[in-house]
Amino acid sequence: MASATDSRYGQKESSDQNFDYMFKILIIGNSSVGKTSFLFRYADDSFTPAFVSTVGIDFKVKTIYRNDKRIKLQIWDTAGQERYRTITTAYYRGAMGFILMYDITNEESFNAVQDWSTQIKTYSWDNAQVLLVGNKCDMEDERVVSSEKGRQLAEHLGFEFFEASAKDNINVKQTFERLVDIICEKMSESLDTADPAVTGAKQGPQLTDQQAPPHQDCAC
Amino acid sequence: MTFVKTDTAVLLFKGFLKEREREAVLEVLHRDQMVRETEEKRIRKLKLQLQQLQWKGARNSSHEYQERSCARCQKSLGLLMNRGAVCNGCSHRVCSECRVCLNPCLWKCTVCYAHGDVKVKAGEWFFEERAKKYPGEGRRETVGAKLLKSYQKLSEISVIPPTPPPFTEFTAGSNVKELSQSKSFNKSVENLFLSLTTHIKKISKSQNDMADRCLLTTDHGQNLERRKQRRSQSDTAINITSRMKSTPSLQQLITGAQNDSEILTKRNCKEEESIITSPTSDAVFCDGKKHGSLYSLNSTCTESGNFGKADVMGEIEFAMRYIFKACILEICIKRCKNLAYGEEKKKCNPYVKVYLLPDKSPQSKRKTAVKKRTVDPEFDETLKYKIEYSQLGSRQLQISVWHAGALKYRVFLGEVVIPLAAWDFQEDSMQLFSWYQLKPKLEKPEHDLIEDSGELLVSARLSAPAQYKNFQFEGRKDQGVPSCQLQVVITGAKNLPVLRAAAVPNPFVIGCLILPDQPEVKQKSPVRKKEACPQWNHLFVFDGVTPAQLQQSCLHLTVWDQSTSSSNDQFLGGATLGASRFFIMKN
Repeated sequence: MASATDSRYGQKESSDQNFDYMFKILIIGNSSVGKTSFLFRYADDSFTPAFVSTVGIDFKVKTIYRNDKRIKLQIWDTAGQERYRTITTAYYRGAMGFILMYDITNEESFNAVQDWSTQIKTYSWDNAQVLLVGNKCDMEDERVVSSEKGRQLAEHLGFEFFEASAKDNINVKQTFERLVDIICEKMSESLDTADPAVTGAKQGPQLTDQQAPPHQDCAC
Repeated sequence: MTFVKTDTAVLLFKGFLKEREREAVLEVLHRDQMVRETEEKRIRKLKLQLQQLQWKGARNSSHEYQERSCARCQKSLGLLMNRGAVCNGCSHRVCSECRVCLNPCLWKCTVCYAHGDVKVKAGEWFFEERAKKYPGEGRRETVGAKLLKSYQKLSEISVIPPTPPPFTEFTAGSNVKELSQSKSFNKSVENLFLSLTTHIKKISKSQNDMADRCLLTTDHGQNLERRKQRRSQSDTAINITSRMKSTPSLQQLITGAQNDSEILTKRNCKEEESIITSPTSDAVFCDGKKHGSLYSLNSTCTESGNFGKADVMGEIEFAMRYIFKACILEICIKRCKNLAYGEEKKKCNPYVKVYLLPDKSPQSKRKTAVKKRTVDPEFDETLKYKIEYSQLGSRQLQISVWHAGALKYRVFLGEVVIPLAAWDFQEDSMQLFSWYQLKPKLEKPEHDLIEDSGELLVSARLSAPAQYKNFQFEGRKDQGVPSCQLQVVITGAKNLPVLRAAAVPNPFVIGCLILPDQPEVKQKSPVRKKEACPQWNHLFVFDGVTPAQLQQSCLHLTVWDQSTSSSNDQFLGGATLGASRFFIMKN
């Protein structure tokens, strides 16, 4: 897929639509683990130490170039506070991938990871891609959750794992890019299984051809 | 900035905070809406490109199908050089020019490639994957849109301070735990979210997702209402028939067959035939031969109410375009989803029927193949009309979906009617496939039809023979079922359509009585030579009919123009005296 060119059927795109895919990513986790900071670091390369609680939901858009494709990311930042839970979970269903975040200096936020993972399983699609991120790894002195613990939990849940710091800009970009890569993998997987050569009947245009060869009103 | 500082100072001004919160969320929702619109625009463009590629093939496909030509560019293929190869995706033979190499050993034809490409780029893959878990979910994620809409609706109410919580309607059936959280009205924003999201959940759950019982019960009232609505809609259909009943001499409108929508050419006619796999082939009818054609009047019969009705639901996806060069209107019926079952026991064999209203003659009818045992049929058929562009403005495209049951039993599953006057055929984006909600039958636009084509009017009268009346009189005492005689007087017709240029037709009438479990009985009136307003005063007599049979019968009356030179009599129009009620009335 990646090596194929679009030139054959003339691609004309205006500047704001100048991308190939659009992925929706959701950042979840307990309140004050640094979700918003993480997003701001990635999208704006900025950081402010002041704590600002997110109201309900917010998002930022960033277009990246990855695997020869322009990918527009709509990254949703959710409120960690329990009282907004109903609004945030409503957004789970539209997300292709998740960043589940905890704070390495906050045991409680780590203990909640299991619950967050259950939330994803409940409200999202079956193939939801999740990265577990232990944020604030710059605060080594106050660390209460060891890297090993985080890695083990991630393994147990079947997620990939990163320790990161929005403040010191450690692993932020890497986290998002890895998630994008995983979603891309899922995408081509889903395409391969739904390939007309394999499933035959499921794809409209091909169906016509197979059922009634002499009738070709539908080009495909 | 969409964040609100929740430090203690701000928290003191609770009301202020709430206002700020609301503003913040609204701002996010609006921003999301803009992103979504851009995305939709992009996807539309992608799909348009794909479709143009597909149409390109369709345009060329008016040639006879040739095995040895490229299915994409129609270039002929050689036996030795440039032989072409079969595409893995669509099994069509394409030339080397029309391939896209995915890797050294795998290629697809341009259309298959573009199809997959659009699927990826438009994010369809995700919706398909997600549909595995949430089958009732709409393709596009519209949480934001739904939220915004209900937010605006709700916030209008909730702005006024002392009113009771405006969300009771929504929270009523929702999770009790959530409800207890929302007890206090002071937390209005949370409440709002709660109610909104419950509302959203409800919308999506109401389709198919059976996971949450509580939410389902919330739906109950809504469903009931919908059902009620449906019932009343079918009631109107009954009203129509009862109106017919009360007319002493039924004046049944006949829609004339009009020349302009004739089958394209011999070749295309063949194509049509290959499309129609159902037993009621129109091809015979289209040629203007009258023999065996009454069969096809079944559809006219369905038009006048002699068919089963299912609760209308589901959607149909199709695209339409006009080829200006060839004067051809093409309708590509792609598929339907979530159709109602045509019969009990989950039976459904759907097919799609298309008319270019006001012409309801068989010449205006196109049908797809019947798909067996599915409520999500994939048709992928292109139906064509040869029609002048100037004619389109006065036409309506009626696309109806039917269930083909056993023994000609038809069940109406819903329809879409599109006035073509408002359709911009010049605009490329109008050629896109779109989903349309299926609707119940509109109340029969009889008056419209009179105005539109006011061409042909048949006055028919039914009268029972003397002994029949006597039977009715004595019948109360006598339980025996006598054989009655059905008499139909064909009085006359006027404003018959002119088929041949400046020629007066030679009209005659065929009456065909269809009784349950009996062969059709046909009768023919004398031909009135060169009469534009023929008066027949001809009596059709159908013997051996019991009142019980009449209850389930219908009478087709068709007017024909006898051809002077050939045996090809032209169909001028037809009417069905619908079913039982008419005859009951006559008792």
